[in-house]
Parts: sequence; structure tokens; C-alpha cells
Amino acid sequence: MAASAVAAARTARRLVLAGLMLAAAAALAAAANYPALTGRVVDGANVIPADARGALTARLADLEAKSGIQLVVATVTSLEGQEIEPYANELFRAWGLGQKTKNNGVLLLVAPNERRVRIEVGYGLEGTLTDALSKVIIVNAITPRFKAGDFGGGVSRGVDDIITVLTTDASEWQARPSLRLDSRKDNDSRIALALMIFFVIMLVVFSLPVVRQHFAGPPQHGRRRSHDGGWTMGGESPSTGGSSFSSSDFGGGGGFSGGGGSSGGGGASGSW
Amino acid sequence: MSSLKTRLRGFAAAVLLSLTLAGCGYNAIPTYEEQAKAKWADVQNNYQRRADLIPNLVATVQGFAKQEQTVLTAVVEARAKATQVKIDVSQLSDPEKLKQFQDAQNQLSGALGRLLAVSENYPELKSNQNFLALQSQLEGTENRIAVARRDYIEAVRVYNTSLRTFPGILWAATFFRANKPMAEFTASEGASTPPQVKF
Repeated sequence: MAASAVAAARTARRLVLAGLMLAAAAALAAAANYPALTGRVVDGANVIPADARGALTARLADLEAKSGIQLVVATVTSLEGQEIEPYANELFRAWGLGQKTKNNGVLLLVAPNERRVRIEVGYGLEGTLTDALSKVIIVNAITPRFKAGDFGGGVSRGVDDIITVLTTDASEWQARPSLRLDSRKDNDSRIALALMIFFVIMLVVFSLPVVRQHFAGPPQHGRRRSHDGGWTMGGESPSTGGSSFSSSDFGGGGGFSGGGGSSGGGGASGSW
Repeated sequence: MSSLKTRLRGFAAAVLLSLTLAGCGYNAIPTYEEQAKAKWADVQNNYQRRADLIPNLVATVQGFAKQEQTVLTAVVEARAKATQVKIDVSQLSDPEKLKQFQDAQNQLSGALGRLLAVSENYPELKSNQNFLALQSQLEGTENRIAVARRDYIEAVRVYNTSLRTFPGILWAATFFRANKPMAEFTASEGASTPPQVKF
């Protein structure tokens, strides 16, 4: 009696603990509120002149039409007390820049008040727009103009250079994006095949007369399952393994939205 | 006719059973486990990437600052030690092992930090193109490590929560008895904010 009470108390404590952990995670997720992805140029800090913004948007749309790469420029009034690196990474993921299967997105983030700038590169483009190249672009094209207060010019030149890097070496980046994704796609088809085989086996097994007799009533199902869980484990477990991998819920607006791509922190940052 | 019916019924039962199992969260534990393992592989890869950059960095610094032999040897030794500690995915539930890994990597971080601090004293080195490229690669790698660690911590949290909460706790007590909670990676200071490599 007492033992069961203790066990119940322990379970309750565990549940409370788990609840707290979930609440903490929810708080963490809601800690920073990110601007909405309203277009290819999200000028939250309002530092890019309107005409430059229009020209940029046209060039970025052209880039995506030609190569599928989603390059987005964002300026924010505040990094919410974070460093620019984690902020840029989380913003990139929240927006889901780049195609989900290729992760070919790039985010150029400017925080004028913190005097920080970052090029955040999606997984699929890390091999082309390397950290060193991103740094070179920031140091040579962007920060000197920012220093002079020319945000429109700095962003334009930065975008030009990024596009140059991304498009001149076409054979390179066409070969690269598959690095991460093909393996996953491969996985998916293997899972589909495994599931199909599983169902065919089930069909055969259940049409065998012996098994059919054995499985006459519902109570036996439960008994058999508790006897050996082996057959359910084999085919079942991987079925959701590949699909739930990346969270691609993102709020897009104005006819433009991210494709669900992700980034692992590639790129470079600078300050002026 | 009736045999076809029973056959269909058997098939429907199989489908229903698998759907029920999936609906009851049977899949959650192995799914989260695999995700956490994949995230761990990312963490380890990024640390390896950092280790791969070091010989080049050491060679470059040596060209300009031979007299800093102690700092350079410290980096080389810390790197050798850090690359020896590898964690297999099956050992992730062992906090001791994880701590060893983390300690070795932290030691390397410290040695690297000293090397970069020392290199501040050599203007020629600081303006060397090769050194600048290496520095930005190192900076990027440290950032990737921070991201990979954050992802791993999150994946472990999700996995451990699934083992301790309903309905996962039922499966953990029956079919997945062998599944142990994974060790939490304590977010050491400097993990959430990548170290700044000043230019």
C-alpha cells in the first residue's frame, strides 16, 4: 500500500518535472519574436532607401528564378539582447529560407543599432559561399559603406558579391546541395519500401489459414502482442523517422515565403 | 466468399493495429532517439572540422611567431587529446563519457584562445591572407559547433521527455526498456555565444 503511494508520488513528480521542462521549452521558443517574412527585402530598421529596395527585390527574384536560391535581406532594429549569430540562425530557420530538399537559402542580416552584420548560409550552399568568402564580402563590400552610413549601397554591393559567388561556379553548387538531402531522400524511399514489404508480409501472414484461426477474436491480438513485440518493431519504427525531421512551418506573406530550408550556422559576421 | 471476408478482416485488423500503435506514440521513442543520434553526429563532425583546421593554423602561426613554442605545443597536444575522445552513439546515455569529451574539447578551446590572443602581437601574421582565411573558417566552425550543440541539447530534451511522459512512459516501461535517457550536454559558458575572434 505504502509502496504504491510512493510510486505514485514519484510518477507525479516526474510528470510535473516533464511539464516544467515543456513549459521552459515553450518559453525559450517564444523568447525572441521575429519579424514576418514580408518579402525578399525585410527592412525592419528602415535603413534601405525605397528605390534601392525595389532594385534589390528584382535582383533577388531573378536569382531565385535562375538558380532556385533564396537570398533574403533583413534589417532589424534590435537583436533582442542576443548575439547576431544565434539570432540569424534562428531567424533563418523560422523563415525556412531555401528549398527544403536543397537548403539553398542565404540570409543577409543587418542590425544597425548593434552595428553588426551577418551572412547566414544554408546547409546546401556552405561549400560554395564559404565562411572565408562570406567574411571577405562583409569586410570588403559591406562594412566600409556601412561605416559611411550608406546602408543601401553596402547591402547592394554585398548582395551583388554574394550572387557573383553563388552563380559563377554553377557546376560547383549544382553538385553541392545534394550533400545533405539526397541521403534523406534515399532514406524516405527506403522507408516506403520497408513499409510496403511490411504490409505485404502482413497480408500473407493474415491470409494463412492457421494464423487466421488463431486470430479469430480480438483478445488474442493483445496476448500475441505481449508475447513478442518483435514483429511490430521491425517495420514500424522508421516510418516517421524521416518525415518529422525538420520543422518547416513558417509564416510567409505577400506571395513570398521560405521553402523550408535550414542552416547550421555557416557564414560569417562582422561589425563596423 | 466468406474466406475472402475473413482475409480482409485480418488485413484490416493488421492495418488498424499498426495505426493504433502509431497513434499511441509507439513510434515516438525510436524516432526521437534517432534524431538525437543524428544531432550528436553533427556535433562530433563539427568538432572534427575544427580539429582539421588546426594543423594548418599552427603551421601558419609558426611561420611568423616561432618563439611562441609553448602555446603552439599546447594547441597541438590538446588537439591530439581531443581527437582521441570519440563517443559512439550507444554511449550517449553515459554522462561520464560525455563529460570526458566535453573536457577534452574545452581544453582545446582554451589552448586555441591563447594561440589567437598571442597572434595579436604579430602585425605581419594578422595581415597574412592565409591566417585571415583560417581565422574566419575557425570562427565559422565555432559557430557551427554552437548551433550543433544547441540542436543536440534540444533533441535530447525531446527524447528524454518522451521517455518520461505519457504515453511514451508506457512504451519505455514495456518495449523500450533498453532505452535510457541520454546525457544532457551542459551548455558550458561560451556555448551559446560563439567566441569572438577579433580581427
